[in-house]
Amino acid sequence: MKAWFTVLLLLTLGSILPLSAAAQTPIRILACEPEWAALAEEIGGDDVIVHSATHGRQDAHYIRARPSLIAKVRRADILFCSGAELEIGWLPILMQRGARSIVQAGQPGHIMAADHVDVLERPEVIDRSLGDIHPGGNPHVHLDPRNITILAEVLANRLVTIDPSRSSAYHDRLVSFKARWADAMTEWHERVQNLDGMKVIVYHKAWPYLLQWSGLNRVASLEEVSGIPPTASHLAHVLELARNHGAQVIIRAPFEPVDASDWLSGKTEIPVVELPFTVGGHPEARDLFSLFDITLTSLEEIRDRP
Amino acid sequence: MHEIARLIRATVIGLPILFMASMVYPQSDPPTTEELAAQISALKQDYESRIAVLEARLASIQAKSASTDHKAVPASKPSMLSSDNTFNPAIGVVLNGMISEYSETDSSIPAFQFGHESERPEEGLTLGHSEITVSSNIDDKFYGNLTLGLGVHAGEPTELELEEAYIQTLPGAGLPDGMRIKAGRALWTLGYLNELHVHGDDFSDRPLPYRAYLDNAYNDDGLEVSFVLPGDLYSEIGAGIFRGDDTPFAGSRSGREAWSTFARLGGDIGNNSAWRIGGYILDGEARNRAGAGHAHAEDDGHGHDEEAHEDEEDEHGHENGEEHEEHDLAEFLSDGSFTGDSRLYGIDFRYTLAPTGNARDRELILQGEYFRRDESGEYELQEEHEECVDPADPSTCEIHMESIIETLSSDSEGWYAQAVYKFLPRWRVGARYSRLSTPDDAELSHDPHTTSAMIDWTNSEFGRIRLQYSRESLARGYDDDQFMLQYIMSLGAHAAHSF
Repeated sequence: MKAWFTVLLLLTLGSILPLSAAAQTPIRILACEPEWAALAEEIGGDDVIVHSATHGRQDAHYIRARPSLIAKVRRADILFCSGAELEIGWLPILMQRGARSIVQAGQPGHIMAADHVDVLERPEVIDRSLGDIHPGGNPHVHLDPRNITILAEVLANRLVTIDPSRSSAYHDRLVSFKARWADAMTEWHERVQNLDGMKVIVYHKAWPYLLQWSGLNRVASLEEVSGIPPTASHLAHVLELARNHGAQVIIRAPFEPVDASDWLSGKTEIPVVELPFTVGGHPEARDLFSLFDITLTSLEEIRDRP
Repeated sequence: MHEIARLIRATVIGLPILFMASMVYPQSDPPTTEELAAQISALKQDYESRIAVLEARLASIQAKSASTDHKAVPASKPSMLSSDNTFNPAIGVVLNGMISEYSETDSSIPAFQFGHESERPEEGLTLGHSEITVSSNIDDKFYGNLTLGLGVHAGEPTELELEEAYIQTLPGAGLPDGMRIKAGRALWTLGYLNELHVHGDDFSDRPLPYRAYLDNAYNDDGLEVSFVLPGDLYSEIGAGIFRGDDTPFAGSRSGREAWSTFARLGGDIGNNSAWRIGGYILDGEARNRAGAGHAHAEDDGHGHDEEAHEDEEDEHGHENGEEHEEHDLAEFLSDGSFTGDSRLYGIDFRYTLAPTGNARDRELILQGEYFRRDESGEYELQEEHEECVDPADPSTCEIHMESIIETLSSDSEGWYAQAVYKFLPRWRVGARYSRLSTPDDAELSHDPHTTSAMIDWTNSEFGRIRLQYSRESLARGYDDDQFMLQYIMSLGAHAAHSF
């Protein structure tokens, strides 16, 4: 028993030894979601080490405060998350346990995307009977590409503050990214115009930023109460709405349950399309550019179906 | 005039540049022209990048106002007007109720002292443990938490128990990164379950080692320092000093008679599974630690243990004139009051696997803990002894309490292992086996063990209903079939779950 304890203690101490003291220590960025990790790669390049707490097929609402994430927060220089309480179930405990001062609220290493953009769907009534709602509004701000530009600048600013010695590198990457992003947005804007306000049914209310930017029209949400699976009566209501309004497509994120949308599709023959939602949500959505490309391509394929 | 202005400007700009340049290489020889040029160009770059950042900031402000224009739904920022409510702490309430059915009448464990909290819940309809938590950041440096437990035991007034009342440093407190200090009364770091409130458990009752060794949980008054080490792997070490008044300790004199130390390691395996292991020591002294089992002996004894039962029969038929009845050692261990040293070693592991990455949809959790307790000291039994002046006349009899002391060194082990599987987003099933090995001294040939199975339904993060069946074999010939149907609901603020 005592031997066991000693072994464990040695292992614990041993695990901190591989600390390399490189001349130019890279800035460590822990992103809560893959989209922010992708943006951090764009702006930070080789000067940063980026980890994402979640992957593209995970729902960032419900993540366990895993030990590995405590270790990541412990060493992070920047914490880059969506905010608006998306990560409320796990991030506060990581920040408390990791006890890293530079990533605490109000410090330069603390970036919550929703603090920097206009947040949609801020609720007027807050009650648990309405489900797992976010008093801070809808946190999925990354699906409006205009918000990406804003966050790119915020991140570059923070990197310069934390790591002034490499400010020109961060600046150059920001300028380059913004130029490429602006070009891409021009192209996407045209494609969005051609989608011509498609009528969509969504699962969870995860898409308002995409809908607003792209001008798509939401007919109904399969999940009536956020965080609680849809009831039969609500599904019947959605079915009626789908028929009456001529919905063209059912949109689903990779982590959302398939049964309700499949059921509705079976009843109505409205096609279901799984959009990537974030980087890694589709095998080809490898960065922010391909994320929006694939999203639009998927919608265009539905539109062009005979 | 223009020349003078230019000269002043050149001096104002040039002097700081020269000064800064000299700061860069204060000890070196006078720089050559090339070096100076390089330094100046570096400075220029620096200024340019700063200007660029300012430009970027300006652009971001512009972009923000521009994007606001496009948006159909105006975002209403929260009003900054403050009222008395604004700084109210978070309040959470946990409601917990149960209906249970048992096939045996008693649930104490032979050869183990047994506290109040760790008895099985009352039979029939009963309120379990309700809880009120008030918590908040105190300022930028401290966090505070107060948790009151309302214990209801049949036939007794509702018990208000101070479960936790602690302050804890926040990462802004100025301690080194990774370090935390917690002081007050808290569910201290010990094994896996000890830090959890009972309503957070995956089963309706705590496994045997927690019930036998800790009276469900160790929440003494004390102070704990922990430190997360800066490695790629999660590793944390810590130590605590405690009053020494909560089970397994009692009767602290100096008020600092217990200490603990622990180490934990954890990490990921692939994308969707995580693990953690830990080792713990809790050491201290007990003075007259009484088992609640004493009271039970008065009621109806350990009706389940054949040997003990017979002994007790003899005991209560105390007119046979013997000076001392024979007490087996198990009786000292369970009913005696203990004074001596108590040390608990523990190891725990936990492994979670979410096949899709989303623990909310499907998840397997494996968890186990092993404890070993070494205790040595004196066990004191109080014995009723009747003395009669005239054996024929009961009115001449007097009852004396006599104490019998046995010095023992008892080592025992306890462990449990459990698996919980979420097969649908709202449904989980689980199985648990827990076992205690009785101290050798007790000379009981039976190791208490319990096998449990549960199924629970979770409507939302805030409400859960659970059905549990346990078969508890605490002594030979004792097989208790236990059915428990339980609800656990939480209102208001809801603390984030740790791993």
